[in-house]
Amino acid sequence: MSSASTRSAYTSFSPGRIWTMATHTVTQLIRMRILVFMGIISMVIVIAAFAFPAVSPEQQLKLLKDWTFGALQVFFVIIAIAATGLLIPRDLEDRTLYTTLSKPVPRYEYLIGKLLGVMLLLGSGLLLMDLVFSLMLYVKQSLIISSQIAALEKEQAATPENIAFIKDLNSRFGLTYSLHGAVWAIFLKASVVAAVSLLISCFASSTLFTILVGIAFVIAGQGQALLREWFLDKMSGFWQKFLSGAIAVFCPDLTLFDIAEPAIRGEIIPLGVLTEVTGIALLYIVGYTSVAYLFFVEKEL
Amino acid sequence: MKNKILGVLLLVAMGVAKVPLEDRVAATLKAADLRDAPIPLSLQEAMGQMAFTAALGGLRSLVASITYLRAYVAFEDRDWGRVDSLMTLTTRMQPREAMYWDEAAWHMAYNAATSTQQREDLRAAIRNKDFRDYVLRGLKIVQEGLVYNPNNPKLLVREAEIYRDRLKDPRPAAEAFLLAAKNGAKPFYERMGAYELVKLGEPPDLQQAYEILKRHYDKGFRYPSVLRDLDILERKLNIPVGQRVGQPLPPSPQPRRK
Amino acid sequence: MDAPSPSASPTPAVTVENLTKVFKSGFTKKPLLAVKQLSFEVKAGEVYGLIGPNGCGKSTTMKVMLGLLKATQGRATIFGRDSEEVASRQDVGFLPENPYFYKHLSGRETLNFYGRLCGLRGAELKDRTEAMLELTGLTHAAERRVGGYSKGMLQRVGLGQALIHEPRLLILDEPTAGVDPVGSRRIRDLILELKQRGITIVVTSHLLEQMQEVCDRVGIMSNGRMVSEGKLEELISVENQTELILQDAPPELLAKIRALVQEAGGKSQVVSEGKPRTTLEKLFLQSTTQTGDGE
Repeated sequence: MSSASTRSAYTSFSPGRIWTMATHTVTQLIRMRILVFMGIISMVIVIAAFAFPAVSPEQQLKLLKDWTFGALQVFFVIIAIAATGLLIPRDLEDRTLYTTLSKPVPRYEYLIGKLLGVMLLLGSGLLLMDLVFSLMLYVKQSLIISSQIAALEKEQAATPENIAFIKDLNSRFGLTYSLHGAVWAIFLKASVVAAVSLLISCFASSTLFTILVGIAFVIAGQGQALLREWFLDKMSGFWQKFLSGAIAVFCPDLTLFDIAEPAIRGEIIPLGVLTEVTGIALLYIVGYTSVAYLFFVEKEL
Repeated sequence: MKNKILGVLLLVAMGVAKVPLEDRVAATLKAADLRDAPIPLSLQEAMGQMAFTAALGGLRSLVASITYLRAYVAFEDRDWGRVDSLMTLTTRMQPREAMYWDEAAWHMAYNAATSTQQREDLRAAIRNKDFRDYVLRGLKIVQEGLVYNPNNPKLLVREAEIYRDRLKDPRPAAEAFLLAAKNGAKPFYERMGAYELVKLGEPPDLQQAYEILKRHYDKGFRYPSVLRDLDILERKLNIPVGQRVGQPLPPSPQPRRK
Repeated sequence: MDAPSPSASPTPAVTVENLTKVFKSGFTKKPLLAVKQLSFEVKAGEVYGLIGPNGCGKSTTMKVMLGLLKATQGRATIFGRDSEEVASRQDVGFLPENPYFYKHLSGRETLNFYGRLCGLRGAELKDRTEAMLELTGLTHAAERRVGGYSKGMLQRVGLGQALIHEPRLLILDEPTAGVDPVGSRRIRDLILELKQRGITIVVTSHLLEQMQEVCDRVGIMSNGRMVSEGKLEELISVENQTELILQDAPPELLAKIRALVQEAGGKSQVVSEGKPRTTLEKLFLQSTTQTGDGE
């Protein structure tokens, strides 16, 4: 048609189309009530902040951090698997894939768009949760410092030395940049899990299969480092070695993203470490998505 | 079909290529002290630790906090056996969390021990034996914690306090206090170590105690207990009168220090 | 929308050359031959009907034309471009059988989404979306979620998304299946209207009757092969018979005609005589006034 000239001509790679797929995926997931998860996590954070006033102040801060990071890990990994698992098999089951792919949309753009959409949702969700968490931790920490100083004053021990010590201790166990680094690592972990799920869903035919295999991959991914460091050297049988080797080759090492524990303990996470962890996450995401594409491009619809 | 074979090949190639990179990142994490370095433990202990890591993934801290809270409930119920086993589970899950070791030791050496001492249904000899058993259990916990967290000031202070308050053994108490102060505990604990040295009474100990307390005095820490012990030391060490700064405690009211 | 005349585009809209498609499913099942050595051509501006029973390979052929399936042998082209090229899809609009859309989107959002995928942006996207809502009579339901749409409405959204980027070729898979006669009539009217605008249309159906009045040419498929192809009148007219319909003819006149036929001798004879009947469909259309808009 004549008016076709006014619109952007077809190109084999279009960020615009990928963005359309991605934002559509976000809308889809949000309308699937995935935000309920965020509500649950927020509740966990608030409860963890104020439910245990009986234990020592340090323990109170630790509990708040433990529960927040525990909830973030569990929920965001679940969201990553479930959201990705729901997308492609569902598009196939519902035959919405036909209408999408009968438009001028290359299959890699479809895949990248879906993954990007899930990552956008994970990222914005984690950002929101980080804000809630930071606020609660800051409030909690300020309350603890003031009550500790009040206690010192009561004991007539509020020397500048002691007050500085308390403030120092609280700032180490309270809100630190390393905690945001740990949230970023959870985002990376969840994104890698999403990429793996995307790969699985390219040869799976059902949502349930994708989710179950995805969970198996996460468990194997948590144990992968162990296999690599420990068992591979010490195992003797051929099949034992073969199986461990296969897991080490096919699974991502998800323990590389477990830096919440030291961050909670008050260790500092250097920027260099975060960069390296981000690099390996990118490698996983690009790698698994490329393999997913090679499987998906031949999929008969 | 061609692409699928290509896909499998790429997956394997990536898998083989990623292993050294994963090792590299893991090494970086270890270097930054963000991942537990191998701890010199028996094989069985190490296997147990690894099983926990694998089974719980990044969730160890969450599970540890749950067993910790259950231990706290058991503590409120004064169920000491349960406190001990739940705290053991907690410390096993997060051995590098000094706080858990500290609290586990405190529960045994203080709460459980004192609570036994107050039981009037037991014969005195049994009460005393139980008291000592609990205190030693607490000491063992804190020392085990120090294997995972070498020179941790918090644990050293706990160890010192158990020796001082529960076992009345000034020498290891003094050593632990001083080591704690050296490793970042509040300066106040260095004075605690000095007070223990004073109790020992041997000349080298007294000399060391004098040096510590005089240094603190010069920095402006002129609390009654500092002055009291300086007074004792100056007399025992025959410090020239002109240089003496100590003074005996006023008879009342006696300020108490925790 | 000014339509170029069919002759303006000399390249055929669709060519299918020696297309063979074999499905290999699983390790144990036998390979299934869905389409065998199929060839046909659709000229630009034509309405082409691909007719045949269920499972004859019509849908498979369409999916190959859309690049959803890869041909085992042979190929298909769309306006000269190989159908495996993504770019060939710029010129195609596809309405699948029983279309199904993202339930979470409203009708307008659905059209917007597909429009964006086709590269439409800004004011043009808005205009096209509104035009499609109007064309398919969905303006009143534009804000409702597609999850709550009736079958007929889904069919119309499907048509809207297929046409949103003004394709030169429209592929309709069983567009009238499961649609009531009113809806079916509307779809056929629309096909004729689009043909007027110069859009090439390929339509499959197993309901032969309904295709009669819209198709310029039809191909009849059976067991993955083309068994008959050509202009509709040629295919369905019985060459050696002639139909004569009279109005208000008295019995005497009819007797005279019969006598004449007998007199003529040779092979000529009256095969049947009776009153023409209206079709049930026409009766349905006359006696229902429902427009279908209120769904």
